Amino acid sequence: MKTWKRFAHIDVGSVEQAADLLRRGNAALIAGGTDLLGGMRFEILPDYPELIVNLKTIPGLDYIREEGGGLRIGALTRLEDIARSATVRSRWTALADAAHRTATPHIREMGTIGGNICQLNRCWYFRIPDNRFHCVRKGGKTCYAMAGDNRYHSIFGALKSCLAVNPSDTAPALVALGASIRTNRRLVEAEKFWDMRVPGSTVLEPGEIVTAIEIPAPPAGAKSAFLKFAIRKSIDFPIVNCAVMVAGGEARVCLNAVHNRPWRATASEDVVRGKAIDEALADAAGAAAVAKALALPGDRNKWKIQIARTLVKRALLASA
Amino acid sequence: MTEEKKAGEVERGGISRRSFLRDAGLAAAVPAVAPIARAGEAPAPRTPAAPAGPAASEDSCDGPTMVQLTVNSGQYRCEVQPHWSLRQLLRDEIGLTSPKDWCGGLGACGSCTVILNGRPVLSCLTLACECHGAAVETAEGIANTKHPVIQAYIDYNAFQCGYCTPGFVCTAKALLDRNQNPTEADVRDALGGNLCRCATYQQHPPAVIAAAAELRRDRSRS
Repeated sequence: MKTWKRFAHIDVGSVEQAADLLRRGNAALIAGGTDLLGGMRFEILPDYPELIVNLKTIPGLDYIREEGGGLRIGALTRLEDIARSATVRSRWTALADAAHRTATPHIREMGTIGGNICQLNRCWYFRIPDNRFHCVRKGGKTCYAMAGDNRYHSIFGALKSCLAVNPSDTAPALVALGASIRTNRRLVEAEKFWDMRVPGSTVLEPGEIVTAIEIPAPPAGAKSAFLKFAIRKSIDFPIVNCAVMVAGGEARVCLNAVHNRPWRATASEDVVRGKAIDEALADAAGAAAVAKALALPGDRNKWKIQIARTLVKRALLASA
Repeated sequence: MTEEKKAGEVERGGISRRSFLRDAGLAAAVPAVAPIARAGEAPAPRTPAAPAGPAASEDSCDGPTMVQLTVNSGQYRCEVQPHWSLRQLLRDEIGLTSPKDWCGGLGACGSCTVILNGRPVLSCLTLACECHGAAVETAEGIANTKHPVIQAYIDYNAFQCGYCTPGFVCTAKALLDRNQNPTEADVRDALGGNLCRCATYQQHPPAVIAAAAELRRDRSRS
């Protein structure tokens, strides 16, 4: 097994201390570590952190609680705890299901919700060991997926020349449920939380750290669902996933792994607005979701368009 | 040195890899593992074993640190480097070789599974220096306590080559610790992160369900 290159390590006691260390130099945060340490072992990025800042020693960031009818989840809460939480499952079903379908049981026991929404993308050019493809996401000039094997890449075009997709399972659930992300500096709507950065996936500024997820009370009678298409039931990242919340004639529909950011399918929401969802309407909403989707030249990722369309339809029917 | 040899032998029986290397004159470094006599004592905060270098800030460790942890009911005080995995500590320092490497440290196979503070985790993606004060169970410990999951795996032929088995056994034991009566779906779900190249998958649910039944019988007898 490849061993890690040397780094220093520190246990911090507060978010402020961690933020301070992040601002000072070449440091990386560790929570569950499942994304960070895998990437470091294979040196996928040009820069290797000198210091690992352990957030797990910060007290009070691991909780699931109802607050004023809404839900608040600490950033260090393990995905498995969210998946097993009766509270989350009762009214925020899409998030419980999304957490449950993430990765493997082991990774869910280690990985946190904060880490899941901040993870780096899984593009195989980006992830190849030893930074062999110095792509646009690493400060290079080229997206190698553009002319390469892009069967898992974006069906809604590039963002800042990068065709990678956001691989999070919890992200679309958070968007569909209208969540916000609390950091040590501000509150960001989940919908505006992700972006193409070098090499990150979020709008977090240097020294900014996610502290909690805040999800409002669902509207009366709301139902939500999360569906994931992957080759295996466990382990795999999504090829496409979809979360939906339906309440009182309104729907929130979000796809992921189809674009650099989670993709809110507002066209589908328009189709179902004010109507009773049945098979035909859900089908029309699925078609609307991918009306502007475009396979990349060579059609290698064309199959994802049909999957996205069907997931939207099925998720709507599951929430109707 | 004598104490260190005992630590290896208690867990494994016979000659440990470390004591073999030492006796053969191959181990250059001073062993960094020592068993601790008094169990149940709360460990002091993790401390650097060497002064921090210029790259580190005031409280960080860029050299070896001492961690104290419980492994299979034995107490260990170990000197670890920040970049060591828990798997490395268990295998190369303590001498417990059940956490295997298959996927190369990607977190994709489950062969290195151990139970850390009650949770089945991947020891290849866990930093050893973050295990200060932790309780770790490996397949050796599960076998030493005569846990029924071991016999059930034998009875149901739930392995062929056996390489992935320690990972499966740890995952199954962690499931049985929190679920006394798992369904087949529960078992399949819990073992979803463990790969078996011999493809013995269909044997695992009946084995784990049988182990659960045996555990319930044990409890009703006691």
